Amino acid sequence: MNGWWTEYNAGDVLWLGDWGGAWVLGLLALGALVLALSAYDLRPMRPMRRRVLLGLRAAIYALAVLMLLEPALDLKNITKVKNEVVVLVDKSRSMELPAASVEGRREELAAKALPEFAGLIERTRGEHTFTFMGYGEGELEASSPEELGAGASKGPSSDLLGALDAVRERYAGKEIGGVVVLSDGIDTGALGRRTRRGEELDETSRAALRALDAPINTVAMGRADGLRDVAVARVLHDDFAFVHNSVTVEAQIQTIGVDEGTSLTVELRREGALVQTRQVVVSGEEARRDVTFEFVPKRIGKEIYTVSVPALVGEALTENNAGHFILKVIRDKVRVLQVVGRPSWDERFLRRFLKKDPNVDLISFFILRTNSNVQAVPQNELSLIPFPTQELFDSELGSFDLVILQNFNYGPYDMRQYLPRIKEFVREQGGGLAMLGGDLSFASGGYEGTPVEDLLPVELPPGRRAEELIDLESFRPELTKAGLRHPITQLAFDPDTNREIWAGLPAQRGTNIVEGAKSWGTPLLVHPKLRKKGEAMPVLTVGESGRGRVMAWTTDNTWRWGFESLGKGGTPREYQTFWNGAIRWLIKDPELKLVKVELGEDVFAPGEDVPVVVRVSQPDYSPAVGKKGKLVVTYRGLEQLIVGGEERERVLEKEFETGATGQASVTLRVDRPGVYEVDARVEGETGELRDQDTILVVEDVKEWRDIIPREELLASLARETGGAHQVAPRFSAGDLELEEPRAVKINRRKVIQLWDSLLVFVALLTLLGTEWTLRRRWGRL
Amino acid sequence: MKRREVLVGAAALAAASAWSSTARAMGDDDRLRMAMLRPSRGETSPREGASRRLLQELEKRTSVHVDPTVRVVDIGPEMFEVPFLIMSGERGFEPWSAEQVDMMRTYLQAGGFLLVDASSGVSQGPFISSVVRELGRIYPDEKLGAIPAGHVLYKSFYLLDRAYGRVSVSEKMDAIAQGDRLPVVVSYNDLLGAWSRDSFGNWEYDVVPHGDFQRERAFRLGVNLVMYALCVNYKEDQVHIPFILKRRRWKVN
Repeated sequence: MNGWWTEYNAGDVLWLGDWGGAWVLGLLALGALVLALSAYDLRPMRPMRRRVLLGLRAAIYALAVLMLLEPALDLKNITKVKNEVVVLVDKSRSMELPAASVEGRREELAAKALPEFAGLIERTRGEHTFTFMGYGEGELEASSPEELGAGASKGPSSDLLGALDAVRERYAGKEIGGVVVLSDGIDTGALGRRTRRGEELDETSRAALRALDAPINTVAMGRADGLRDVAVARVLHDDFAFVHNSVTVEAQIQTIGVDEGTSLTVELRREGALVQTRQVVVSGEEARRDVTFEFVPKRIGKEIYTVSVPALVGEALTENNAGHFILKVIRDKVRVLQVVGRPSWDERFLRRFLKKDPNVDLISFFILRTNSNVQAVPQNELSLIPFPTQELFDSELGSFDLVILQNFNYGPYDMRQYLPRIKEFVREQGGGLAMLGGDLSFASGGYEGTPVEDLLPVELPPGRRAEELIDLESFRPELTKAGLRHPITQLAFDPDTNREIWAGLPAQRGTNIVEGAKSWGTPLLVHPKLRKKGEAMPVLTVGESGRGRVMAWTTDNTWRWGFESLGKGGTPREYQTFWNGAIRWLIKDPELKLVKVELGEDVFAPGEDVPVVVRVSQPDYSPAVGKKGKLVVTYRGLEQLIVGGEERERVLEKEFETGATGQASVTLRVDRPGVYEVDARVEGETGELRDQDTILVVEDVKEWRDIIPREELLASLARETGGAHQVAPRFSAGDLELEEPRAVKINRRKVIQLWDSLLVFVALLTLLGTEWTLRRRWGRL
Repeated sequence: MKRREVLVGAAALAAASAWSSTARAMGDDDRLRMAMLRPSRGETSPREGASRRLLQELEKRTSVHVDPTVRVVDIGPEMFEVPFLIMSGERGFEPWSAEQVDMMRTYLQAGGFLLVDASSGVSQGPFISSVVRELGRIYPDEKLGAIPAGHVLYKSFYLLDRAYGRVSVSEKMDAIAQGDRLPVVVSYNDLLGAWSRDSFGNWEYDVVPHGDFQRERAFRLGVNLVMYALCVNYKEDQVHIPFILKRRRWKVN
């Protein structure tokens, strides 16, 4: 049988009395006072006797105070608790790559290192619990060294700080004795982003490491020696760009093992077509060079861009020689150029309408004086400036979305040379053109036989006599069938109401004469009396001309809809609706599409299902229920984005029918990396309606953007946390820095109250009795 | 310039002159018109013929096509056919009805322009007092304020630095401001008096103190007022055109 001194291997003294510090100090002071008074009182006695009595009194007082404080002995039987050691094995895709500095792949080096832990685990069985985990793909899960060594490295990313956070959370409340990281050091998470090559660890990363409160041991899976690779390591770009605004794209080209002085051509391609090239000269064994591309998107919509460098012989990897991205080109403001042949109320009210619209960036130019006007005033007394024809119609024309030629004749301004440029602006660049009537417009403006006439959706009369070019009668234009529902002329959803509104608007005073609409022009409003080629003469005609849109309006009186009608109790709403619709239609406002393809995301991974929604609207923009259409999906490989090419493979052709909400849903499976173009086609009243959208399907290769092992990063992690750093294949588990367990487990515990015993009470009485007896004997009673 | 370019230019000018000979305005309704606004029924303006002279000068000096027929209108629906009204007078007039005030407010807010001219050539008087009273009812939150010398109105066609008229009682004109626009401009110098001719083409009134110089400037101010009504702050835009074009960054240099 063992005594308590053998059952318990640790203990503490406890004070059970609920006395505060002030009380204890007070008692001590009181004791000192009592002893001082005693010493004073006993001073006539012999010193020996006095000391004995004083000692007895001090002991009595001390014992009494001790009993008040209630001392106890806290006895424990304890054993040490093993701490956790976590071995993190990098399972991201970069581990598939060659180790470069030694034979074999990086994951093979890791697989060889893992069995080394067996001896350490055995030796430290009572101190550490080892857990093995892979990081780089999804959640951290415990695994065996064998499984980790055998499993393929397919993780799309490597986020070591994220993995360490997960370890900290997993072992919250437990002691972590150390972490061992087996990795090539490539980190696509916060650590890699914050700490570039050659840089020290940043403070945020340091704080994250300190939070773990354990040494991190790192084992690098090879060094960069012997690696040969050229990579588009990073492409910095915005997701959105404004049309006609220059865009900057920065790319970082990383080379290793490439001869110094080697010149590399970096290409930027848009949809496979070469946009720009940049030359990069390799300046060292391991080098990074930034290249900048600046270009101007010319059309609205999604565009796929590719930055690529040519593959070199003996490269470790060629998948990282190109980077693709999607740029969504949008419109910031509608840029309108309003050119006016002479000031008029029509010009004045249209300018006011455009100026008030915050989405319109308007540049107006008005001809205030011509050569036929009296010029008796010195130039310095006039505020006139020369007509900047070259700037407006040549060098800067491309910056506009819409050009309005309002009662403007080009002849007096030596502008014939710029007319082909206007044609190019509409047909090639997709710009909008509106020609508005007046005595200086259409045939009266001399446009017959010019490139501008080619653009117009109406035929101009060949005559030269004034009455052949202009009709002076007032009239109210009438809607055609197409005009009933066209966004420009639809002043009300209901066709009858729309017709009534048009019939009630103030009359137009005079019109330019046109010979009728061209085959591709759509008359929306016609003259009630004038007829050309057996049909009512169009007054408002629209059409698609090449990539752009054009509108021909043959009067210069629309201002009356917004002003004159007010005198009769009307509103300017019709004027505003008309012009708002015209501007939006001319600039191809996406919101005016009757068929829309919606894909949600832009970039998908191979094997994903893409939900495709086709939304079809009636001309009045109500849902088109039960509308049948066809969805055609074409595919082209990524190589076409790098080397160019227009070959497309039709991968899906499917009929669809819209439901009660005017929508049809189709699921598209994208198996191969490449570009998928989704084309929805619906038969409309005025022909086929279409909409297209594009998705990019690419493997997630960010792990391969930078494949050079980052041994120095791993070394800094170990340095920062007090761990050891080693480089495989030279790995010794015995050299790892692991902390001794600090926590203990209490198996048994016993509290012995020292004051609550007869012995203490007897001792107190004995001391009191002795003191009383001695005092009596020495004559102090 | 090369000979070929000169020939092309000459051909273009010839063609332009050919077109101008065949071109005609889209009817009189389409030309620029002005109307004299009667402050009250039966009231006649002492300067009714003056605006016709201004329109003639406008046709000669600028590219604007005008209809020199000047109508006289009352406050009512017909004034909405003419976005430029001139109201001149010497005498005070009765307060307008609430309906007239509303209609005048609608006219001005929708884009109409009103030039008020004191024919008596005084900066204060019964006519101006009546005008101020009615403007206070049309724009209860706005007050007449002086048009600064650098305002675009003074450079909408001619470069001017002050107000002119038959007399020279004020170097400035006053206006009501509505956003970036002046819908109402008040002249105190009998501007129309400087434009007036009799049926034989003679000037009706002497212009003092600077005679013909001052009369020419009065016409220039009239041209500027019309150009301002037609183009508003267009001239301010022009100043910024190079900047606007430059800032666009639509080309890679």
